[in-house]
Amino acid sequence: MKSILLAIAAWLCAAVPTALAQQSGPVQRDHVVVELLSETRSIQPGIAFRVGLLIEHEPEWHTYWRNPGDSGLETRFSWTLPEGFEAGPIQWPWPERHEIGHLVNYGYSDTILLPVRIEPPADLEPGQDVTLTLKADWLVCRIECIPGSAELALTLPVGRDAGGASAHAAAFDAADRRRPTTVEWPAVFSVDGDRVGVQVQEISGIAAADSLVFFPAHPTLVEHADDAFFAVDGDTLQVSQKRSPFFSSLPETLEFVVVDTRRDTAWQISAKAGSLQTAAPEVARDSPRSLAVILLMALAGGILLNLMPCVFPVLSLKALNLVSGSVARPRAHAGAYAFGVLASFGLLAAVLLGLRAAGEAIGWGFQLQSPWFVGALAYLLFTMALSLSGLFEIGIRWMGAGQALTERPGLRGSFFTGVLATLVASPCTAPFMGTALGLAVTLPTAQAMTVFLALGAGLALPLTAIGMVPALAQLLPKPGPWMDTFRQVMAFPLYLTVVWLIWVFANQTGPDGMASLLVGLVALSFALWLGARPTVNRPSAWLAHTATAAAIIVSLAALAGAAGMQGGSNQSPSEDFTPFTSERLAEINADPERAAFVNMTADWCVTCLVNERVALSTEAVRAGFREQGVVYLKGDWTRRDPEITRYLEQYGRNGVPLYVFYPADEPTNPVVLPQILTPGTVLEILD
Amino acid sequence: MRNLVLSAFIMLLAAGPLFAAPEIGGPAPEFELTDTAGNRHSLSDFAGSKVILEWTNHECPFVVKHYGAGNMQDQQRTATNDHDAIWLTIISSKPGAQGHVSPERADELTASRNASPTAVLLDESGDVGRMFGAQVTPHMYIIDEQGMLVYKGGIDSNPSADPADIPDATQYVMAALNDLADGRAIAEPVTRPYGCTIKY
Repeated sequence: MKSILLAIAAWLCAAVPTALAQQSGPVQRDHVVVELLSETRSIQPGIAFRVGLLIEHEPEWHTYWRNPGDSGLETRFSWTLPEGFEAGPIQWPWPERHEIGHLVNYGYSDTILLPVRIEPPADLEPGQDVTLTLKADWLVCRIECIPGSAELALTLPVGRDAGGASAHAAAFDAADRRRPTTVEWPAVFSVDGDRVGVQVQEISGIAAADSLVFFPAHPTLVEHADDAFFAVDGDTLQVSQKRSPFFSSLPETLEFVVVDTRRDTAWQISAKAGSLQTAAPEVARDSPRSLAVILLMALAGGILLNLMPCVFPVLSLKALNLVSGSVARPRAHAGAYAFGVLASFGLLAAVLLGLRAAGEAIGWGFQLQSPWFVGALAYLLFTMALSLSGLFEIGIRWMGAGQALTERPGLRGSFFTGVLATLVASPCTAPFMGTALGLAVTLPTAQAMTVFLALGAGLALPLTAIGMVPALAQLLPKPGPWMDTFRQVMAFPLYLTVVWLIWVFANQTGPDGMASLLVGLVALSFALWLGARPTVNRPSAWLAHTATAAAIIVSLAALAGAAGMQGGSNQSPSEDFTPFTSERLAEINADPERAAFVNMTADWCVTCLVNERVALSTEAVRAGFREQGVVYLKGDWTRRDPEITRYLEQYGRNGVPLYVFYPADEPTNPVVLPQILTPGTVLEILD
Repeated sequence: MRNLVLSAFIMLLAAGPLFAAPEIGGPAPEFELTDTAGNRHSLSDFAGSKVILEWTNHECPFVVKHYGAGNMQDQQRTATNDHDAIWLTIISSKPGAQGHVSPERADELTASRNASPTAVLLDESGDVGRMFGAQVTPHMYIIDEQGMLVYKGGIDSNPSADPADIPDATQYVMAALNDLADGRAIAEPVTRPYGCTIKY
């Protein structure tokens, strides 16, 4: 009994003074234990240090972030500090999303440290102790909420030198690992209808959109319970979330945190109110560095083009010709060649940019959308390949105009070699550099033009250099009989290029069109063979000329006929989609039992194909479509189709992809999906 | 392509809201609830009067803040006496959850707190709360004489649980009623509701 009383007395003696004189904790409050900690053992005059409130939550209980979400209250600090001391704001670790019924809060559970940076005055006298007093207010909630508060005091010695890390430094390190990196990426946000959109430029380190979480530091901007949509496109991040029903006015700036949950990193970004950029990103306009990088890449890409199977044969022969000594003024020829390349690249770019400015939805490689162009290119490359194979000698008068011009003596010939190089390079630029050039097209016109010219300069560079610098020419093998073999070998990459062009043509015009084109190629080779035969006597010469002319007419007619044919889609018919027509869509929308999913795509649209592969054609999505009775309508815009163009216009688009979901019960309220799809995005829309 | 991707994103539409909270300037949804005396009340019964809806949960610290300091009761009296408004206090806590009360207990609370709402309505199912998009307690709505929603949001401008903060805060419902009385547009028709999550 006595010992118990003694123990109680001892406890009282110990407890009473500490309760009167404030302590740094830990102190027990409702469902939390809080403690004021310092990162360092002592402080130095004029050198900022950190203290922080450690909150240990009981299981299931939490306190809140700077924006608590739909309910709750942010934790607040109020400091009483000695003269000259300044406390900064809470260095908020990124929060968790807590779902309570249909509401979502942003807060913390388990153990969390809220650090604050404190600046002591520079004239602080070493050797004394200073006391920092914090009054912290918070709300701790499980389902019910209890306001909590504590007044804590921390006394630290002032030293002349650094006192070293305190026993709690590890807790500060842990808080720093959960602290978002503040970045200066340019960002804007706007409220458009019932959605809030945020756009961040020049991002780096954010790759996947599917593991991101968005925490706006504003309580009534977004509907917290709505899941945000993310899209990452190059160095741009876009976030879209439903507007809060309690949104009233647009703040000037919005601070927010984006967390990558998979990689456990986060960024804190500040956005200005403003309209989201849909055209040229300001990045390129403001930062010459990024344009310089694009230009360098274009130049390198152009140099690489020299090795493409469609270009290398033509240029390697020209190079050998240039150094063989048979050309009188190699430098002038090299200059004329470079001019030819640049002029034709400039022209092509001007046409492309002009059409885009006029509102045409085209990208680089647009010329390949025309079967005429593809067929003609196939003829040209086939003719050159036959020539290299030795079917006929280059230079015959009536041969392909471009090649004939290139064989002319004089500078004009070299100029047209440049034009020809550009022309034959185009089927290779489209698949290999389409994306990069597509990006260039979104730049302001002048800059886009420089990018195209840089690409042209790259293409022209090796051959021009050989012509200009005799030392480089010395490095090339000496001309000799081996050149004949080399030339014949070079025919084969060209034949392969022709095969690729025929495949593209077949996609555009169908098997009949392809057959017609092949007939045209045979007629062309017949004409070339016949025309190249030495004429012995007059009547047969007349006959040969007539037959040659006839064969040329046949080949041209074949191309003309084929180019006009409509191709079927090259999608395998086993996929469970229905071709899009507006009547079909109207029919499905009229049926309250059936929903419709419209996919507008094109074979030349890489984004479309990727989306189909990673999302729409996956078993999960197809099963989702089947279960929900969704009719999957697919519109193919590989060739221009006015019906699809009109449909795209309804949604304010002039290009593909476009994904629209029409719910069965509410077909008048369709949902437009982002242009970058994941199976999750699609399935979410279906539910 | 990139600009299309981005502009498409902006055009994203809602994927189906959980509940469609009524908008300011639009009609308030019609409802019918039973009060503590067993009388049925529907919103249309009060057509021609201003109606104030107050979501409450007497155990919520934020509700305690405003009732403990007498702020909520003062507002009830001002609204019903000076503005001829109808004041409906609604309890949407589900049975067993914090704030759920029997009709008798609700009357006791009204008496003990000296409150003077027109009626206290019981919404055990939470249907009416969800219909209005009520999220927290206290959560306030004002409906005008024509049945249009003119205010939704918090009770005041200082989200805290400390009664000492009341005098310095803007009391939004009172400000809105004054604006209406003076024929002005309501300065802040939508504000941040703060408080405890409604225990649906």
